[in-house]
Amino acid sequence: MTTPPAERKPPAPPITITKTAEPSTLDVSVGPQHPGSGHLRMLIRVDGDYIVSVDTDIGYVHRGCEKIAEYRNYVSNIPHLERPCIIDAIHLNWGYVLPVEELQGVEVPPRGQYISTIAAEMNRIMNHLYWVAINAGVFSGHTTIFMWAFGDRDLFIELAEMLTGARLTYSFLPPGGPRRDLPAGFGEKLTKLLDYFEKRLVEYDRIFFSNPLVVARAKGIGVLKRQEAIELGVVGPVLRGSGVKYDVRKVEPYGAYADLDFEIPTYEEGDSYARFMVRFEEMKQSIKILRQALEKIPKGPIARKAPLVAPEGEATGRVESSRGEYTVMVMGDNSDKPYRVKIMNGSFRNLIALPYLIRNVHVADMPIIYGSLDYWPVEADR
Amino acid sequence: MTQVALPREEGIINQLKDQFPEAIKETKVDRARRVTITFDKDHLQEIATFMRDQAGFDHVKGIAGIDYPTHKKIEVLYFTGSFSKPEIQDLVVILKTELPRDNPSIASVVSVWQSAHFHERETFEMFGVKFEGHPDLRKLLTLDNWDGPPPMLKDIKFPEMGQR
Repeated sequence: MTTPPAERKPPAPPITITKTAEPSTLDVSVGPQHPGSGHLRMLIRVDGDYIVSVDTDIGYVHRGCEKIAEYRNYVSNIPHLERPCIIDAIHLNWGYVLPVEELQGVEVPPRGQYISTIAAEMNRIMNHLYWVAINAGVFSGHTTIFMWAFGDRDLFIELAEMLTGARLTYSFLPPGGPRRDLPAGFGEKLTKLLDYFEKRLVEYDRIFFSNPLVVARAKGIGVLKRQEAIELGVVGPVLRGSGVKYDVRKVEPYGAYADLDFEIPTYEEGDSYARFMVRFEEMKQSIKILRQALEKIPKGPIARKAPLVAPEGEATGRVESSRGEYTVMVMGDNSDKPYRVKIMNGSFRNLIALPYLIRNVHVADMPIIYGSLDYWPVEADR
Repeated sequence: MTQVALPREEGIINQLKDQFPEAIKETKVDRARRVTITFDKDHLQEIATFMRDQAGFDHVKGIAGIDYPTHKKIEVLYFTGSFSKPEIQDLVVILKTELPRDNPSIASVVSVWQSAHFHERETFEMFGVKFEGHPDLRKLLTLDNWDGPPPMLKDIKFPEMGQR
């Protein structure tokens, strides 16, 4: 709804630096710039070099996905619902399609489940490589890992393009199953890439994850204890870095995960370094999952025809996206458009940890803590 | 379809029914791992405390509002789950309650579930639901100069996006 310009209220004045009641503290507005992942603003109150408190100001990239979803039919909702986190598009797509399939009573054939799983795990590696490059590498001032990770990510992107036809925004999983079968020669190419990438991870460990400079900057910084993590309701690598073994792939297996053998890496420390290591170990597990999936993939149809209409009712589905549990509630009303779509994603749930962790730390530690959360503003704002 | 016994899902329903015989209006096992419980909004705090302390549901995954203009009500759904108890980690219990559409207001659960903080702020902004006792109930996502009504209500239409 738009109001005529004359009636529109002027926007709030941007706060840059203001004197506050405490004579020794200063309020500084950080952002709204683009810290490698979308826009957000943090209003930090500093006392010398220490951050006293943080107020997060989000919503700069809010585009009303949930409202738009009420206007689009079930299939044309897919492209815009996967946009909030384009580097994690398969998971956002799959998380939305699961409840739609449940409402429609459509079951994806086993081969389709395996193809979805392969696409999702490739997506997890690509997402974590982006995170290593930007949120861990650049934020800690490490240029080499930025180049390496982005270079290797492109090899996966090329394979994803071969499978889905697009580099990032795949729209690969409509209700009923994936759009395409594995192309000829895909298995060999992926196996070759996984062999290369596994060796590469050893080098990543040597230059970045075991690098004394990185360890010194991340270890013991931004500690989130187990009980705090549970109370704040954070998810994904942030939760697992605080020692809670919780992964939707294990607790409520979807796709082909029930047939595959993999571990859920958890670390007890709860600091930034633990969250770094959870994602590093997850990439190794994804390699393991992909190899098994390529080996075990059954023959048969990949998809079933799904109706365009969904009956009345509510369904809640969830997947483990790269940023944690991605829960979607879809409500049908016997038409081809949903009555309501509610998205509960990892970034929005992890947002609460930001003001909680960036407190009583040096200003210089802020990027490391922010990076370790892998917060994606666009996904949180929707 | 054959009926499969779902003891854990039924167990939670029975626990709540025993504890709050008047407050629980309707219960439903949607499928394995999904339970919807409709309750009276005045008993939210007690039910939330019971869910957290006795049943082990230690966090809120999200809070959804659903607007029904024809029934003149707004439904609020709390998606709760458990991290600390591995045996019920896979359950999602949806606590559902309805509020009058002209002045929707309900108690805040932030004192019970800290994780509800930003979800309540979002629902306040998008549906105009006032969460009494929320420590910091401000706008969250919309523009600072948005002066329209809560945008997720059904009577707010965006004709440029098509027909609904």
